[in-house]
Amino acid sequence: MLKDIASFLNSQVSGSKAEAYEAEVGDGHVSVAGEHLFACAKALKESSEFDMNVLQVVSGVDYADRIEVNYMLASFTKNTEFILKVKLPKKSSDDIPEVDSVCSLWKAANFLERETYDMVGVKFNNHPDHRRILCPEDWEGFPLRRDYVVQKEWDGIEVNPAHKVNSADHNFFKDVIEKMGGDQKKVTYSWKSDAES
Amino acid sequence: MQDSVVLMKVDDFFNWGRKNSLWPMTFGLACCAIEMMATGAAKYDLERFGCGAFMATPRRADLMIVAGTVTLKMAPRIKTLYEQMPEPKYVISMGSCANKGGPYWQHGYHVLKGVDEIVPVDVYVPGCPPRPEALIEGIMTLQKKIANERILRDKWVKHA
Repeated sequence: MLKDIASFLNSQVSGSKAEAYEAEVGDGHVSVAGEHLFACAKALKESSEFDMNVLQVVSGVDYADRIEVNYMLASFTKNTEFILKVKLPKKSSDDIPEVDSVCSLWKAANFLERETYDMVGVKFNNHPDHRRILCPEDWEGFPLRRDYVVQKEWDGIEVNPAHKVNSADHNFFKDVIEKMGGDQKKVTYSWKSDAES
Repeated sequence: MQDSVVLMKVDDFFNWGRKNSLWPMTFGLACCAIEMMATGAAKYDLERFGCGAFMATPRRADLMIVAGTVTLKMAPRIKTLYEQMPEPKYVISMGSCANKGGPYWQHGYHVLKGVDEIVPVDVYVPGCPPRPEALIEGIMTLQKKIANERILRDKWVKHA
């Protein structure tokens, strides 16, 4: 089905560069070029073949060099769903990539795109109400980015007061990471054998 | 009892009345609030201690049970609510999040590390979330604290 969608998008939207990725485990996806996202979404919604009438999720993932925005589309008439992705290059840590909003196609996109903007920092062009949704309006930075650093103070409140930092726990996990040879990926200490080996 | 006389200190009389009619504010932030509701409902019956009358406005309440995660966005609002309560007022910090940030203590960019950063707390109830029994014990601890207060002396006698 993903290949059908990709070939459909390539035929309908010139330059969309739609590619299907079949996954061995989990769900595959179709990726399209960022500047043609709106045209692709519109084609999918209006086609009688696929009839993607529901937008389930908009989410963003930061991969250091790029930010991927995922759109989970579904069709209630055809009983299908799939993931549409755009890969937006991120030049620097304070770069805010842009993509067109799909609010005019699916009303559900309004809050979801605001959340994506709030968490990973993607600007959605032509969004009717483009502002933060979860964090305070004057929050600095985008919390789900990899290089995010928490601000020191917000509204006169210290975010991480020194007297509240649990240094015993802090040092415990530091020791555990050192024991594992500095492997940051094995930090959970959930399996004791991992820590000992 | 018709013609009997009871003799007691005015402070003790006030305290007896205050401690047995604590009115909490209807106010919950997260999953701890579910336990707080259970505490107020029939099985644990907070009304036995005279504090089941959850008031829907801070102006009629004298106990604030901070039940749940206090996010930074919520913190100024909690402070406003606390300031709207009439004196004498008390705060119970319920659950790990309200006590010290709970599971968000290190990486929670959005969580206030303990509600005592913004309002004075009288009793801390540990747990995640605390069982209704734990909250009841917290309230009884607060009642003991109120019973030993000397509000008249503190108000009228200087350098007591």
